[in-house]
Amino acid sequence: MGRLGFSTTESTRLLLLSVFGVLVLSVVLAEQEGENLSGLSTNPDKAIFAVRENGTTCLMVEFAVRFLVPYDVLALNGIDLITEQAPFTLPRGAEIEGKCGSTESEIHITWKNNAYTLRIYFSTEFRDKGTEVWKISKVQFVYDTSETSHFINAYNPGKHTASTHRLSALVTPAGHSYVCAAQQTLTLISSDHQKGVTISMYDIQIQPFDIASDFIFSEPYKCITDQRERLEETLPLILGFILGLIIVITLTIYHFHLKLTAVQPQLPRDRSMYKNM
Amino acid sequence: MAHLIRHKLSNKLTNAAHTVSNKSQAKVSGVFARLGFQAATDEEGLGFAECDDLDYDYRQGMQMDVLPGEDEGPPAEGEGEMDGDSHYQRDGTGPRPSSLKTGGSLDEDKPKITTWEAGWNVTNAIQGMFVLGLPYAILHGGYLGLFLIIFAAVVCCYTGKILIACLYEENEDGILVRVRDSYVDIANACCAPRFPALGGHVVNVAQIIELVMTCILYVVVSGNLMVNSFPGFPVSQKAWSVVATAALLPCAFLKNLKAVSKFSFLCTLAHFVINVLVIAYCLSRAREWAWEKVKFYIDVKKFPISIGIIVFSYTSQIFLPSLEGNMQRPSEFHCMMDWTHISACVLKGLFALVAYLTWADATKEVITDNLPSTIRAVVNLFLVAKALLSYPLPFFAAVEVLEKSLFQDGGRALFPDCYGPSGQLKSWGLGLRVALVVFTLLMAVFVPHFALLMGLTGSLTGAGLCFLLPSLFHLKLQWRNLLWHHVFFDVAIFVIGGICAISGFIHSVEGLIEAYRYNIHD
Repeated sequence: MGRLGFSTTESTRLLLLSVFGVLVLSVVLAEQEGENLSGLSTNPDKAIFAVRENGTTCLMVEFAVRFLVPYDVLALNGIDLITEQAPFTLPRGAEIEGKCGSTESEIHITWKNNAYTLRIYFSTEFRDKGTEVWKISKVQFVYDTSETSHFINAYNPGKHTASTHRLSALVTPAGHSYVCAAQQTLTLISSDHQKGVTISMYDIQIQPFDIASDFIFSEPYKCITDQRERLEETLPLILGFILGLIIVITLTIYHFHLKLTAVQPQLPRDRSMYKNM
Repeated sequence: MAHLIRHKLSNKLTNAAHTVSNKSQAKVSGVFARLGFQAATDEEGLGFAECDDLDYDYRQGMQMDVLPGEDEGPPAEGEGEMDGDSHYQRDGTGPRPSSLKTGGSLDEDKPKITTWEAGWNVTNAIQGMFVLGLPYAILHGGYLGLFLIIFAAVVCCYTGKILIACLYEENEDGILVRVRDSYVDIANACCAPRFPALGGHVVNVAQIIELVMTCILYVVVSGNLMVNSFPGFPVSQKAWSVVATAALLPCAFLKNLKAVSKFSFLCTLAHFVINVLVIAYCLSRAREWAWEKVKFYIDVKKFPISIGIIVFSYTSQIFLPSLEGNMQRPSEFHCMMDWTHISACVLKGLFALVAYLTWADATKEVITDNLPSTIRAVVNLFLVAKALLSYPLPFFAAVEVLEKSLFQDGGRALFPDCYGPSGQLKSWGLGLRVALVVFTLLMAVFVPHFALLMGLTGSLTGAGLCFLLPSLFHLKLQWRNLLWHHVFFDVAIFVIGGICAISGFIHSVEGLIEAYRYNIHD
């Protein structure tokens, strides 16, 4: 039966070859590259990152991010530990990696030689009434407190990871990009004694799925705060218009009231009334 | 023959003596006139007052016959002339309490206000929104702040009285006659020989600026208070200002001071409720009062602003000439001034001291920020009501000033009279008043940092109209009647007022520059 089947060594070799081939294929097919387009942004704090696949953009992220990371510092007495806060922003010159999918996407932003990594995970889901939405499902932030430009005299320096638990943020209907000028804040729990890391994003425009054309966002979906601001801005104009109407109506009513109740000048009927003229 | 010659000689001698004394008096008067002092009494003014009385009686006699429904009743045909004559004779005796320089409008038909109503108006003017900043002033000034509250009340009461004294002149019988009607007339009389209209124009401009800025401030404050009371609503401060202006539109229909006095009375009630609420809350925390924290020294950087708040909150002099002219019993004016200023001083001092003792170092710039949220909501609502009810008085005064200076019949001013022959407001006159209300709204919405701007103009026009000008006019017009301590007071008030004005001006300009720079960097 040697002629009918392959020998075990040959089958393993074939298996290895096929696996290797699949891997090569997948690498060739995936071809996802991260692009840093922050030079296009007008705001010096705002960064623009894109993940491209097969020659077209599949994930675009445009925001300005501020981090507030607490870390421990040894006090002057040498015994107590004080918690200091390190504020810093996401630099424009960061490296991008990302993965796009139909239901899940992610983007990894690293800077300072992998001392800091920000990973944002997006996913889609179906809400009741059959509408499809996408949202941020997880955010992970890796930071190294031995990095001296932001962390000064950290106690026990080392790498820590802060991540979210069951997050559902920036919920947007499918096929739209999320736009928000106001500040959105997320709090992540760090592996460093459960400290809270605050990430604030503003001037956001994000789209992780269904990008129609290269580097162009789909239809924007405004966040609630921006919608409210627009209402706040138009309300004085509407009220002013109503006030103007009230004024015009009042003046015309008064004018006609005067006309109707005007005293007629009396013509003198007697010489004794001439002095009244 | 001899006694004829003696008669002639004695006449000549007496004439010569008279001419000599007249010449010397003329020389002295001339010296004074060159120095700028009006040595002679305003006999010219007295004469005009009497002419005006006659003129007024003549016209009143005529118009009494034309108008139906007057008190004297429509006269029968034949008796028309007699009634007119009897008016002429009956009312011609005695000096009139108010001279009539404005012929067209029938001032006598406007109802007179009682002393109480004049008191409410003055209280509306001197117990304004700035009372909320007084505990902060005590924080930085300590006992000096308290002393200033009392001192400013005394000084402003005195300047109010001397301003009204400038309206009167003594005639030959020694009776005081009201020869001038308004602040503008006083200013014109002071600059009389060389610049007959300059003083009036300056005072007009200062008055209009001060009154319109006060109106705008009330709109800004009510918008701000509403925004802070309802932070959950998507209504911004501009939207609330428009709503407040819609509520204030009926002010355009105000005809006389009696209606304004009703609003001032309600405003005083609202202010009283606010005072009672805050003081009661502070008394409930009396155990925690920090008596030892009231300072004897002052914080030199922050106190000058507080000086401005304390001193310029007693500014009511703009309203006094027209208030006094419309009172039924002008003799009670001094009594009314005393009582309103005493009550304002006591209430303000008590409020400031008690509120400061309760929160000591934590006292905020506006005391309502310190209150717990339930009381703060109620106090905010009453403050909004107070701001809206305070608006009619400066608005009515501004309308009066504008109408007297710009809208007079007979070519005396640029535009024709706003009132028709029967005293009714013409529709374009109403349109102008509504335009003034809308103007205050537009300024409230579009001018940034309005409070700082108000501090700037207040320190110039407020100090000028309340301290500098009354003392100056009093010195000039009543120079002959003043005793040495009156002169000393007037000069002292002039100097102190000048210092307050300059310091207020410098600090307001600094504040404005800093706010502008902060805005640009933001």
